[in-house]
Amino acid sequence: MQTPASERGVHDLGGALGFGPVPHDPDEPTFHTDWERRVFGLLGAVTAATARRPGEFRYALERLHPGDYFDNGYYGRWLSGFEVLLGEYDVIDPGEMTGAVTERTRPTEAQTASASPLHRVAPVADRDPALLPPDRPTPKPQRRSVKRELADPPRYRVGDHVIAPASAQPGHTRLPDYVVGKPGTVVKLHPAEVLPDSTAHDLGERPQHVYCVGYDAQTLWGADAEPNATVHVDLYECYLIPASEDT
Amino acid sequence: MHDDHSNGHGPDHHRGHHDASSPAVRVGALEDLLVGKGIADPERIEATIQRFEHDIGPMVGAGLVARAWTDPSLRQRLLADADAVVADMDIRGAEIEHIEVKANEPGIHNVVVCTLCSCYPWALLGLPPNWYKSPEYRARVVREPRTVLAEMGLELDPDTEIRVWDSSSETRFLILPERPAGTDGWSVERLAELVTRDSMIGVARAAEASSLVS
Repeated sequence: MQTPASERGVHDLGGALGFGPVPHDPDEPTFHTDWERRVFGLLGAVTAATARRPGEFRYALERLHPGDYFDNGYYGRWLSGFEVLLGEYDVIDPGEMTGAVTERTRPTEAQTASASPLHRVAPVADRDPALLPPDRPTPKPQRRSVKRELADPPRYRVGDHVIAPASAQPGHTRLPDYVVGKPGTVVKLHPAEVLPDSTAHDLGERPQHVYCVGYDAQTLWGADAEPNATVHVDLYECYLIPASEDT
Repeated sequence: MHDDHSNGHGPDHHRGHHDASSPAVRVGALEDLLVGKGIADPERIEATIQRFEHDIGPMVGAGLVARAWTDPSLRQRLLADADAVVADMDIRGAEIEHIEVKANEPGIHNVVVCTLCSCYPWALLGLPPNWYKSPEYRARVVREPRTVLAEMGLELDPDTEIRVWDSSSETRFLILPERPAGTDGWSVERLAELVTRDSMIGVARAAEASSLVS
């Protein structure tokens, strides 16, 4: 039931094969280079001028070409995401950006800088709101927050068996591919939240109950699974359907 | 031109062929433009950076863990309703909209990941380390947690159950490591020195008491 790997988003890494040892250093500094510091420092200004809706910045990163997503690590992907958003929101046009880069580049590199795009990105997917759960009114939170108070009770209870079918359409989602189609068990309810699959696409809040769903490793990975392990994923109610008794 | 956009899963895909300018040049250019337009302010940028370099980091979470080690009622509250404890202690900031604390105990080991991006409780642990954000960790720790933890230096008994928590909603997880032996009577401040960042993500145990003996 899993989506073929070739159709998975670049960011949807859980369970992907072929990766080596984790580059672990227990004493990493907060930033490794000065440019990482600068990128982090710009986050507040860039998102205030562009992606203010939940999920919007993440979705910009998910739309990046794998090279731009991976090559310069976390802050490199942020930088490309900033460029994408500032362009899409008409805060900085691509010509302006290339010009500013050229100005800061030594003459020998200037030609390269002006000849190649700074990043490669896919457009925002066209999303049909009819395929999303309906919106519903909730009290306005007192401060900026993704949490919402829902009048409707949650559909599932702790101990219920659930399955998340594949997403109905392309675009932003917080459903990792590795649990798609696999039966899991609700272990806890989290506070209800706005639905990022909708907010990232500017289609309203459509708030959802959120469930922590536990998956036995055998269910996820079959014969390859390590014994005695459970993986928990937090899923929005509209992702889930009841699992039949015999799964 | 985006035909190969969505298939970057093998490690081979990570060697890009992108020859645009270096990130250092690009972020400088971006900052020039944003400051020029009045959108970003250099002093505020530097102040934000320095807060995360000096004031917000694993020491915040370590203080919470050390208090939970010495105060059973606080520990209970932390496991039942961490948001209330965090609010009582006036811990504020980014990425702690809803906190869940999971306690390691004999026979149960918890470990946190974000496979879809790099979600992490900033206000409790600071910014995430590179290894936590690496594709290697994000891909592998859900599929082979015992192997990954062993590679990172944490050998678990085969009978120990591993619980992996993938941060796919806005809930953020903090692991409460086991209190090391030989620390009876220690102050909260001294105990906090044993609580490493790695132990609160769940890829290590808290440091041993002997690590503080000079």
